[in-house]
Amino acid sequence: MKGTLQQQQARLGVRLIAPAVVIIGLLIVYPVFYNLFLSFHDVKLSGESSFVGLSNYAAVITDIEFWRAFLTTALYVFFTTLGTTLFGLVVALAMNRQFPGQGVVRSLLLLPYIAPVISVVFAWQFFFDPVNGIFMHLVVDQWGLYPERFNLIRSPRYALWVAIVFSVWKNFPFTYLMILSRLQAIDENLYEAAEIDGCTGIKKFFYITLPEIYFVLGSIVLMRIIWNMNKFEDIYLLTDNVKTLPVYTYFKAFTGALDMGQGSAISLIQFAILISFIILYVKKVLKW
Amino acid sequence: MVTKHRTIKNLLFALLILAIVLFAVFPFLQMVSTSLKYSWDWGNPSLVPLKLNWESYGELLGIGQDIKDLPESVQILLEETPDLTREQKEAIIAKYRDTGDVFPFGKYFLNSLLFSSSSALISLVIAILGAYSFSRMEYKGRRVIQRGVLFVYMFGGILLLIPLYKVSVALGLAGTQGGTVLSVLIIYVVQTLPVCLYMLGNYFRTIPFSIEEAAFIEGLNHFQTIWKIILPLSISAIATVYIYAFMIAWNEYLYASVFLKSYKDIYTLSIGLKSLFVSKNAIWDRIMAASMLTALPVVILFLLIQKHLTGGMTSGGVKE
Repeated sequence: MKGTLQQQQARLGVRLIAPAVVIIGLLIVYPVFYNLFLSFHDVKLSGESSFVGLSNYAAVITDIEFWRAFLTTALYVFFTTLGTTLFGLVVALAMNRQFPGQGVVRSLLLLPYIAPVISVVFAWQFFFDPVNGIFMHLVVDQWGLYPERFNLIRSPRYALWVAIVFSVWKNFPFTYLMILSRLQAIDENLYEAAEIDGCTGIKKFFYITLPEIYFVLGSIVLMRIIWNMNKFEDIYLLTDNVKTLPVYTYFKAFTGALDMGQGSAISLIQFAILISFIILYVKKVLKW
Repeated sequence: MVTKHRTIKNLLFALLILAIVLFAVFPFLQMVSTSLKYSWDWGNPSLVPLKLNWESYGELLGIGQDIKDLPESVQILLEETPDLTREQKEAIIAKYRDTGDVFPFGKYFLNSLLFSSSSALISLVIAILGAYSFSRMEYKGRRVIQRGVLFVYMFGGILLLIPLYKVSVALGLAGTQGGTVLSVLIIYVVQTLPVCLYMLGNYFRTIPFSIEEAAFIEGLNHFQTIWKIILPLSISAIATVYIYAFMIAWNEYLYASVFLKSYKDIYTLSIGLKSLFVSKNAIWDRIMAASMLTALPVVILFLLIQKHLTGGMTSGGVKE
C-alpha cells in the first residue's frame, strides 16, 4: 500500500501545486534576492561583476536626483491615491442608485481601466498638444487664462499633475467597483432606523455609510499605494518629465551608463520604503 | 413643491452621471475623432471630422495600398511590360511596399497575439492544477502558499526587471531572438500566474464538494475529476481568467521594452507604437488609428466577459 488515502491526497496536492511554486520561486522570489546581491556589486552586463559593498547605496542616497524622484513619488502616490479613492467613492454613491441605462454606463465607465496604456496615452497627449489640442484651445483662445499655447504635458511644472489626473482617470473604475459592491451589501434596515431617528442624507452618510465602508476604503487605499508606487507605464508612456522612483530606476539601469548595480539599489530602497509603510499602515489604519 | 424639488434633484443626478461618463470616455472619443480627421482638421476643437478620412486605417491594415506607394514610372512600367509574369510583378510591388516606412501593424499585432495567447494558455493550465490543489486538498504548507500568492502582488515590475534581465543575459537567452521569445514568454506567464491562481482558487471554492465526492464514489481519480467535473462546471470562470491574463500580457510594456529592444521582428504592439511614433506631429491620424486598433481586441474581449470579470475584480483578483 502507498499509505493512507489522506497521504496520497497530500502527495497529489503537492504535485499539482509544484509547477506554480517552482515558477514563482524561480522568477519572483529568487530574482528579489538576486537583486539584493546585485545591489552590492558593480554590475557589468556581460562578464564579471565586482563586489563594491555599500557604495551603490552611498552613490544613490547622495545623489540629489534620487531625492527629487523620491519627492515626486511621494506626491504622485499621495494625490493619485487620494483622488482615485474620493472620485471612486462619488461614482460608487451615484451608481448605487437605479436609473435607466445603468448597464451601458457601467460598461463605459470600465473602459479607462481595461484599455492598453499605450493606446490611451496618445489621446491624452493629443488633448494637451500645444498646436492641435482642445485643452490649449480652451484655456488660451477661449478663456484667456494663459497668454500663449505651451506644451503642458512636458512642462516641468504641470507634467506631474497631468500624470496624477491621468492615473485617477485610469484607475477610478477599480475603486468605484470595490466600493459599490460593499455599498450594495449594507443592510437597508440601518438606513430606515436612522430615518426614524430623524437623520438626513448627510448624517446618514457619516454615521452609517462611512463606518460600513471603512475597511473597504482602507484596503483600497493600501492597494492603490502599493500599485501606484510601483507604476511605470502610466507615467513613462504619458510624459517624459515625471521621474518617480520606478522611472528613475529604469533610466539608471537601462539607458546611458546602464548602471544596473545602482538601479538594483534604488529599486530595493523603494521596496524597503513600501514594506515599512505597509506594516505601519496595516497596524494603524486597518488595526489588524 | 415636492415634485418640483424631486425633478431638480433628478436633473442634477442625470448631469452628474453624464459628467462622469464624459470624463471616462472623452479620451476614447478623441481617439476615434482624430483617427478619422485629415491633418488640416486636427486643430479644429470639434470632435466631428469635417471630412471623413479612412486613409490611416487603410494604411495600417494594408487595404488599398498596393498601387498607391509605387512611383508613377514603375506603375507605367508594370502596365506597359506585358511579358512580365505575375510573380515578377508582385515581387516588384512588394519591394516598393517594404521600403516605405509604413508602420508594420499587422506584424506587431500578430506578435502581440502570439505572446499574449500562448502565455495566457500556459499560465491557465498551471493555475488550474495549482488552484485545484490549494482550494481542494489538505497538505502541509498549503496556507503558506495561498498567502504567498497574495504577497507577490507587492513586487512591482521594476524590482524584478533588473535581475531577470541579468539572468537572461547570463544564460545566453537575451543574445538570440529565440531565447528572447522564450524569456518574454516565461516572464508573461509568471506575471499572470498569481492572478490566475487567486481568481481560480476563489472560484473552485464555490463548487460544492459533494459533486466531487459523487465522482470519487463512481471511481474517478483526481485528474479525471478535474477534467470531467471541475472544468465543465467552471468553464465561464476559466474563460474569464484566460481573457484577463491575455489582457495583462497584451497591455504589457516595461519588459517588452527591455527584452525586445534589439529585435524589431518580434516587437509587440505596445513597444512598436512607442518606438515608431516618437515624432508625432505629422502623423496624429495614424497614431490614433493604431491606438484604436490596439485597444479594440481588448475592449471586445472585455465586453464578452464583463459580468464575470467585474465580480472577479471586486473579490480582489486583480493585479496591475
